[in-house]
Amino acid sequence: MKTILDVDDLTKTFGTNTVLDHISFSISRGSCYGLLGPNGAGKSTTMKLLTGILETPTGSIKILGHDVATARDMVQKVVGYVPQEITLYEKLSAEDNLIFFGGLYGLKGKQLKERIRTVLTDTGLLDRANDLVKTFSGGMKRRINIASALLHEPQILILDEPTVGIDPQSRNHIFGMIRRLRDAGVTIIYSTHYMEEVEALCDELAILDHGKMIAQGSLSDILDRFSQKAVYIENQNALGAEAYPAIKKITPHHQGLILECDQPLSLMRQLLDDAAAGKIGPLHAIELMKPSLEDVFLSLTGTRLRDE
Amino acid sequence: MIAMVIKELKLMAREKGNFFFLILMPLIFIVVFGSIFNQANSQTLTVSVHDLDQTAASKALIKQIDTIKGFKVTQENHTSVANQVKQIKAGKLSSLVVIDRGFSAGLRNGKANLHFYSDAAESSETAPIQAVLKNIVTGYQQQKLAHVLQAHGETEAQIKQTLMAPIQIQSVTENSKHVDFMSQIVPGYTVMFVFFIMNSMVRRFFQEKDSGMIARLQSTPLSPISYLIGMWVPAFLSVIIQCTVLLATGYFFYHLHLGNPLAVTLIVLCLALCGTGLGLCLALVVRSENQGLGITQLLTLGGAIVAGLWFPSDILPSFAQKIGYFTPQYWAMSSLQDVMIRGYGLSEIWLNLLVLLLIGLAGLAVALIRFKPFLRAAAH
Repeated sequence: MKTILDVDDLTKTFGTNTVLDHISFSISRGSCYGLLGPNGAGKSTTMKLLTGILETPTGSIKILGHDVATARDMVQKVVGYVPQEITLYEKLSAEDNLIFFGGLYGLKGKQLKERIRTVLTDTGLLDRANDLVKTFSGGMKRRINIASALLHEPQILILDEPTVGIDPQSRNHIFGMIRRLRDAGVTIIYSTHYMEEVEALCDELAILDHGKMIAQGSLSDILDRFSQKAVYIENQNALGAEAYPAIKKITPHHQGLILECDQPLSLMRQLLDDAAAGKIGPLHAIELMKPSLEDVFLSLTGTRLRDE
Repeated sequence: MIAMVIKELKLMAREKGNFFFLILMPLIFIVVFGSIFNQANSQTLTVSVHDLDQTAASKALIKQIDTIKGFKVTQENHTSVANQVKQIKAGKLSSLVVIDRGFSAGLRNGKANLHFYSDAAESSETAPIQAVLKNIVTGYQQQKLAHVLQAHGETEAQIKQTLMAPIQIQSVTENSKHVDFMSQIVPGYTVMFVFFIMNSMVRRFFQEKDSGMIARLQSTPLSPISYLIGMWVPAFLSVIIQCTVLLATGYFFYHLHLGNPLAVTLIVLCLALCGTGLGLCLALVVRSENQGLGITQLLTLGGAIVAGLWFPSDILPSFAQKIGYFTPQYWAMSSLQDVMIRGYGLSEIWLNLLVLLLIGLAGLAVALIRFKPFLRAAAH
């Protein structure tokens, strides 16, 4: 796929604090790209640099081949930015907020009305158009927050942790919106510290930690490269690792054990055979451990994402 | 920019605090102080008199006091003088005039006595009564002299000539038809509350900054200068509406003489530019909302005193009056009073307009210089 955004050797410092350290990545047109990392990893700074809110100090950011530092006007027209904060006027109605944001992009008259109707329909809030934003739930505000960045039909939508503090229903609604936008050809850049969100939405991702990019690529590639393959079993008898040379490490987990290995399917088969033959006692549970980004983050940083 | 202006006007219209601080509060001040001082205009001083003499002469004296405009006599013969003096000591009575026994006889032989007891803490009320008594005594003195001169065979014209004071005060009151308490109160509170727009502006900019809105708007095609103008224009318009409402209240309800309409309009425009220019400057210079609100209180209330917004500045010590010259409130107030009371036009108040304009433009210039650092700070 054609590259729509190209970041090369980006470094950003605030005073003596380096918040982004030589970051490089490319995003393909029409993909959903996840930026995963704990709070303070540099995700929001990256997004503000992509939108031109912060000035690019060293390195370069190119959108559609244009440098963000010199072609801000073009960038602002093709990019929609949804910040982490709910940036709406609570004392205005949803429609008045959208009229304002649409006006900033030069939309007016019939075109503006139609766009407002479309985005309100997409967010499922058409019937609340005239209600003041302050009467909305957190999830509804988040949806209007996104809607206000879609009025000018951007080619790239940048969402900075858009599901913080919302109910599952609104989260599902937002996920649905993002999938529809991606299907319509909009490139999505999505930052979060929820790994399950990246797993559910993103084709490609980058993992940031303390301003450094510690991994990037497609989801399957990263899982394949960095997650530990393992089998989980529960049985009454202690399992001797020496009996199974394929097992690299045994870790107690809940009621059973996690057996790390390179070929988990082979190990599973062997364990089932041995259990059937009575060699290791009856198995109460056996399952293939699904590789997750949590494991990836743990193996790369030595810390859990949510502990941060 | 138009989208910004419309949005800000909508927000202002829905912000009850703006209406309260910019319109309702000054209206309350004008109505309350207007009522108090209008009543003060027609206030009469009560003169408590204890007549121990009870003769035609003492009654004539009491009648003479009672007929003086602004004074009303109440006779306090029901209790003893000693008790009434106790009441004065206790602060329950401010003064007492006692017409001694033998007052009438004393008049004839030139040894009549009056006693005037007064509470030292109430000198502002008792001093006029004492002055009136002295005037009456002088009148009796002149009558006595006239009798003596008449006895020496002088004609009435000669007596009049002799008794005439060597200095005559020719009292000439200029512009008296336009001067009353409302010509101090209405322009005073209008000017004072204009500068409260700085509060609203500081609060709005910090709301925008703290909510992340300024950062978000930097990702849109809205240019920084359009943002600044979009925030300033609604504040400017609201000050014009505020001045119009307050001056119109003075005109329609208190018959305030407005003077030259063009001059008043230009004063209001320059005042609006000055107040909002300073507001914009303050919003972009201060480090926190509380700092901005504190400075606004200092400028509005401190300026109100030294600029003569609450009372005429000429009753202040000269150094305080000189400080007043450095406040925009002074130039606005003096120009409004010049137009309303003295009937001045543009040619007489141009300097005031120029000062207000320059202060406003200086505020806007500082705001422009400070805007970029403010945007950078808001982006983080």
